[in-house]
Amino acid sequence: METTLHSLYLGFSVALQPANAWYAFLGCLVGTLVGVLPGIGPLAGISILLPVTFGLNATQAIIMLAGIYYGSQYGGSTTSILMRIPGEASSVMTCIDGYAMAKKGRAGAALCIAAVGSWIGGTFGVLVLTIVAPPLATIAIRFGPPEYTALLVLGLIFLAYMSSSSLIRTLLMACLGLLLGMIGIDNMTGHFRYSFDLAELGDGIGIVPVAVGLFGLGEILSTPSADAVKDIISPRLRDLLPTRKEWSESALPITRGTLLGFVIGIIPGSAHVISSFLSYAVERRVSKHPEQFGKGAVAGVAGPETANNAASTGAFVPLLALGIPTSPITAVLIGALMIHGVSVGPTLVNEHPDVFWGFVASMYVGNIMLLLLNLPLVSVFVTVLRIPYAYLYPMIIMFCIIGVYEVNNSVVDVWIMLIMGVLGYALRKFDFDPAPLVLGLVISPILEQSLRQSLIMSNGNYFIFFSRPISLGLMLVSIGLLALAAYSFVLQRADWRTKLAEAEAGEAET
Amino acid sequence: MTLRADHVEGAFFVGFGLLVFALSGDLPTGSLSLPGSGFMPKILAALMVFFGLVLALRASESKEFATLSWSDAKHAAMVIAITAAAIGLFERLGFVTTNVLMMFALLTIIERRRLLPAAIYSVAVVGTTYILFVYVLKTPLEAGPLGF
Repeated sequence: METTLHSLYLGFSVALQPANAWYAFLGCLVGTLVGVLPGIGPLAGISILLPVTFGLNATQAIIMLAGIYYGSQYGGSTTSILMRIPGEASSVMTCIDGYAMAKKGRAGAALCIAAVGSWIGGTFGVLVLTIVAPPLATIAIRFGPPEYTALLVLGLIFLAYMSSSSLIRTLLMACLGLLLGMIGIDNMTGHFRYSFDLAELGDGIGIVPVAVGLFGLGEILSTPSADAVKDIISPRLRDLLPTRKEWSESALPITRGTLLGFVIGIIPGSAHVISSFLSYAVERRVSKHPEQFGKGAVAGVAGPETANNAASTGAFVPLLALGIPTSPITAVLIGALMIHGVSVGPTLVNEHPDVFWGFVASMYVGNIMLLLLNLPLVSVFVTVLRIPYAYLYPMIIMFCIIGVYEVNNSVVDVWIMLIMGVLGYALRKFDFDPAPLVLGLVISPILEQSLRQSLIMSNGNYFIFFSRPISLGLMLVSIGLLALAAYSFVLQRADWRTKLAEAEAGEAET
Repeated sequence: MTLRADHVEGAFFVGFGLLVFALSGDLPTGSLSLPGSGFMPKILAALMVFFGLVLALRASESKEFATLSWSDAKHAAMVIAITAAAIGLFERLGFVTTNVLMMFALLTIIERRRLLPAAIYSVAVVGTTYILFVYVLKTPLEAGPLGF
């Protein structure tokens, strides 16, 4: 513990250096704007701004990009509450009760509860990260190929089980992503796979063009500017403070959201999105007044908003301790560090303590900055939403092109982005969630390599995954989740997804 | 039989899986004890065909294909066409010229904005971005024949 406190002191001495604090502030500010603007989520935002960090050192780069990530979770709530437009996917659930509160004249209170809940969730996440990550990194050194395979398989199954779209659709998207991840040279044999004699495809398809195409351009193609005009409710500053009753109604949902979000964040998958959906379902179930959900229930704002921020921080645990990207966003962050010559994994804490602890400490600072930034400046952020969408989206397309081109100075990457944009449009049309595709792309090389290494180690015996304690535990959890999913699927019983969709449909009618 | 969205989606993924199989013909599958470079892609292609079939077989729960709204398709097609033209010209004309032309085209052709405000907006946004990246952030952008 003493070592941790000493290391944290080192971290604060790094994070509070004026230049680093400035980049944390810049990241939080840009992240809030990314969260506020419809059509540009955290993944596209981070990917587009990745080239901006090329001139910074590794610590400043990761501090700024992480600020954009958790800043966008804060900002996403603003459009959800004031316009009923989720700035990004994890704010979808906040729309329901947040906007209902705004229509009742409680927009300020909803924003305040969302900001405070986000701060508590984020700060709790950082606290646990501080304590858990270093010992976990020590354990992670014992991870071999079978353990990595089992963990990634669990992540995919968990994502499929928890995803808001159907199980089959999620698995199809994950398969497509895994296949895309296999384009290029096979690291183990040197074979070119599906590269069609294009030298640029030899290194495979990068995550940035895919992410920016699916989430940035795809969203723009699906949003004609005529549909983007919405009424904006402007809260007054004096209405920002919730009443005592609203505080007491939000206390338990914030606590539950914090714990739930952090735990889900650790498991690979689109953690921040799943956590907010799940938190809403939990709050509705435990509430003494479930009929108030959809009509402005405070718990419907406090729970999901807290959970998505706690999950964003939780996702950094496997990233920093194991070097595993549990989401597309953390994969981009790994890419950013690798560009600066820092490899992420169990050795990070010992080899680059200034980066590791500086980053952890910057999250404490960043969460306070966001709380101070979001409440007083909410009306400023709302002003950004008044820019006509017709003028906004050409600018976003330009930034998409810059962001993708600058990573490798390759126009092939920009063409891939355009193709992915078209794919993203089609996927939205047919109700597919593109997030599992990107996750599949991210984990594909690690999963394939660890699976093949495991089979070579065991001379082709699949029992290797059940003969080592850590991989056995992870595989048993995967089998349990698959059994639960199969039970609902085969017997055609309504699982949690269906029940939630029915609940939402019911609310929409009332 | 009514054609439903999941029939189309299922057929697409079955077709895609089969295409991956066809393209993987020359990749060695290897053995369980020494998997080759075609091992994982073929497993995934098989899974994709299987899940595609399940999706198509359970299509009765999905909406009718004819009821899907394509009202935004024209907007999407025009944005794709203009962006594709911009990407094609990007390395020849450079960052500034290409993006000014792209934004101007998006604003005037798709959004029907007046020419002068659209031109001023395009030049101002692209110019500011160029200065920000090249001079403030020291990140070079693709130069055209005029040097910017």
